[in-house]
Amino acid sequence: MEKKKIIEFKGIRKVFPGVVALKGFDLAIYEKEILGLVGENGAGKSTLMKIMTGNYQPDGGQFLLRGQPIVLGGSMEAIEHGIGMVFQEGSILPNLTVTENLFLCHEKEFSKGWFISESAMVAEARKALEENGLDINPTTLCGNLSPAQRQMVEITRLLWLSRLYRHENPILILDEPTTVLLEKEIKTLFEILNRIKEHATVILISHRLEEIIENSDRIVVLKDGDYVTEMPGKAADIFKIEQLMVGRDMVEGYYRRNEQVDPTDTVVLEVKDLAIESILEPISFTLHKGEILALVGLIGSGKEELVKCLGGSMQATQGSIYRNGKRISIKQPKHAIAHAIGYIPIDRRIEGLATDLDIADNINMLVYKKLKSRGFINKRKERDNANHWMGVVKVKATSHRMKCGNLSGGNQQKVVLGKWLSADAEILIVDHPTRGIDVGAKDEIYHHIRQLAKQGKSMIIMCDTLEEDIGLCNRMLILKDGKKVNEVSCPPDAKPAPTDIIESIV
Amino acid sequence: MKTKNSRSLENISTLRSKVSASAVGKLYHSIPISGQIISLGIVALIFSLGTNGQFLHISNIMTVLGLSAIPMILCLAVHQVIILGAMDLSLEGIVAITAVSAGLLLKNSVTANDVGLWIIPIVMLIGGLAGLVNGLLNTKLRMPSFISTLGMSWTLFGVAIMISKGSSIPLRDLRFQKVIISEFLGIPTVFILAILLGLVLYIMQNKTKLGKHMYAIGGNEILAKQAGVKVDRIKISIFGLTGMIYGLAGLLLVARLNSSAARYGNNLLFPAMTAVAVGGVSLSGGVGGALNAVIGTIIVVALNNGLVLMQINPYMQSAVNGIVLISAVALTIDRNKIGIIK
Repeated sequence: MEKKKIIEFKGIRKVFPGVVALKGFDLAIYEKEILGLVGENGAGKSTLMKIMTGNYQPDGGQFLLRGQPIVLGGSMEAIEHGIGMVFQEGSILPNLTVTENLFLCHEKEFSKGWFISESAMVAEARKALEENGLDINPTTLCGNLSPAQRQMVEITRLLWLSRLYRHENPILILDEPTTVLLEKEIKTLFEILNRIKEHATVILISHRLEEIIENSDRIVVLKDGDYVTEMPGKAADIFKIEQLMVGRDMVEGYYRRNEQVDPTDTVVLEVKDLAIESILEPISFTLHKGEILALVGLIGSGKEELVKCLGGSMQATQGSIYRNGKRISIKQPKHAIAHAIGYIPIDRRIEGLATDLDIADNINMLVYKKLKSRGFINKRKERDNANHWMGVVKVKATSHRMKCGNLSGGNQQKVVLGKWLSADAEILIVDHPTRGIDVGAKDEIYHHIRQLAKQGKSMIIMCDTLEEDIGLCNRMLILKDGKKVNEVSCPPDAKPAPTDIIESIV
Repeated sequence: MKTKNSRSLENISTLRSKVSASAVGKLYHSIPISGQIISLGIVALIFSLGTNGQFLHISNIMTVLGLSAIPMILCLAVHQVIILGAMDLSLEGIVAITAVSAGLLLKNSVTANDVGLWIIPIVMLIGGLAGLVNGLLNTKLRMPSFISTLGMSWTLFGVAIMISKGSSIPLRDLRFQKVIISEFLGIPTVFILAILLGLVLYIMQNKTKLGKHMYAIGGNEILAKQAGVKVDRIKISIFGLTGMIYGLAGLLLVARLNSSAARYGNNLLFPAMTAVAVGGVSLSGGVGGALNAVIGTIIVVALNNGLVLMQINPYMQSAVNGIVLISAVALTIDRNKIGIIK
């Protein structure tokens, strides 16, 4: 049976300063289907979503909804046209009841004159929740619901709204819906989505490919702002999709592989049976001087929590850490700093960098003790230290007094690096060093990482893509569901193939 | 009926979890301000023991109710802005300017004016305009409300001193004072007035779209905007409404004392804020309502009345009030929502 097109993109194009986010491709979305949309970060998934919800306007091409070209002015207008999005972080107000959240801004449907009929609202809420098979009391405060229940309330709200605006086949967009859910809740979510599919279109964005494959009717692969291919769900091959998403084979010399050095035998960090209750099972590994160790695993594998324990922002429940053979305890970030362990976080704008301060302030942040003369901070020493490290990491800026908020992503990342180098960090934990950085700057970051290794710094890295991990590291630890499942050596001349690694990750 | 005020208790979850699911526990949960009622009970118990029952004598209870009327009106005003998650410190300035205006426009011994009952809409208009400016500074100029309203307070206080030439203005119209000191069925009329205002605000908060949207903004302004709440318009109206109520309170103060001066506004902000916090209106916004403001004020006034009856050193009383404010805020504020404490 031929399905009706509900949304059609024709030559859809979106350009941001310096980046072409969508390169002008065609894509059709049908009624009553679950569409899985996959692609790496920056492939254009979220740009496409934001066009559908009216947050972005396309720069070229056509966006047809139910066969009509349409321009949407914002998420409210999108909802009026039957397109609703469930955001990763959620949009439920915790201090309102389920009922109040469901009908926020549509209270007039239940009004008699000036006053709202609470009982009519609760009755309608109960009905709407039951229709979706949800057992949630409409008078509970949303702050008391589980993340899964809140998500269900959001979905119920969107479906109720599309009925209010009399749309036969609403479009529901879910952005990484399963990241906050437990295994059992994920199952329930997909049961509900499959039921909703009977009268709606569901668009699913997720990094968990196995979920997409299991639940989508059709999978569309995007890459670098372009449509790559599509395939029916269920039968799709996860390795094939992974390859399509990445697109390129491993190019010789990429990731500055020729600059890779062999680590020395000195163990600078040893982790013994470190565990976090219900997140990470006891894990042991060593890190050598000059080594780049990649931690590989999906979200929920425990790798994020593991590095947080090393950086001091989280506490392990058991196990021990040895630095140069001596047992140390890291209870707070300052303890990690004292043991020369630096943490370069994934979101440099939030955790890594004070964007309101200038470059010098950021680079000197950890070393003001060294910049004192006669008890006070010396302006000249401050400037010299900043300029020295700016030169080392090659920050492109007009002066050391430039505000970090005005720097490009790549330069910001270099400032963070400079800060840790200036603090004599021996071990660097680098969390997604190249996220949101353009290709040229990426190469420079790779160069720095290689240089640091050559100087004897040790690094634990977690990258955006598996290729990057393989390309950069000397050795990789593979984690899955809180367990170390494999350890793979990655010498420059014999890098493992991504497909071999994926098997142990998934 | 489930009301907004039940939210105030969510934050005191530790206290809540200690109350078992027994019949007492059920009763506790079914009354939205049960925690505050217990606090009032404790205050009453301590002071009636300390004063040999004098504290709970009917004449003293009526005194407390009468004394709490104007602070209650002020607390009902300011708590509206706090529900939005904003702050309004312009109370003293707006009360000063409206008090002085009332003094100069009613029949008085300095000017030849006599606007009579028209003074009621006039003071509400003056207060409302000042409140509108507060709202505009917050929404359109995007200024933190606690600092812009503080500036507003000092500006208006200065203007009030200037137009009153720094002196008090005796009134010659006794009608207002008569109403203020009168009693209805033994209850001070001014207290009944405050309760009526509380009732109107309670209905607005629980039964109208404006009320629902106020709480949405207090919960999370960005998400509320996303859902289609007209955030700016609602914030400006609430700031305006709050200003109008301040104006009314200014007039009542003048009427009670039968004279007017700019300094009548002084020292009114602190009890109002303490009452807000003690009543369980969260300073982080979105939690608590008119019922909380009413009970909060009664607790604060009863506490001060008890301290006076027990002849506690007045400096000690000030310290007690400060500690009460800090403890109340510590119990009701939602730290997750504030993120970085500035």
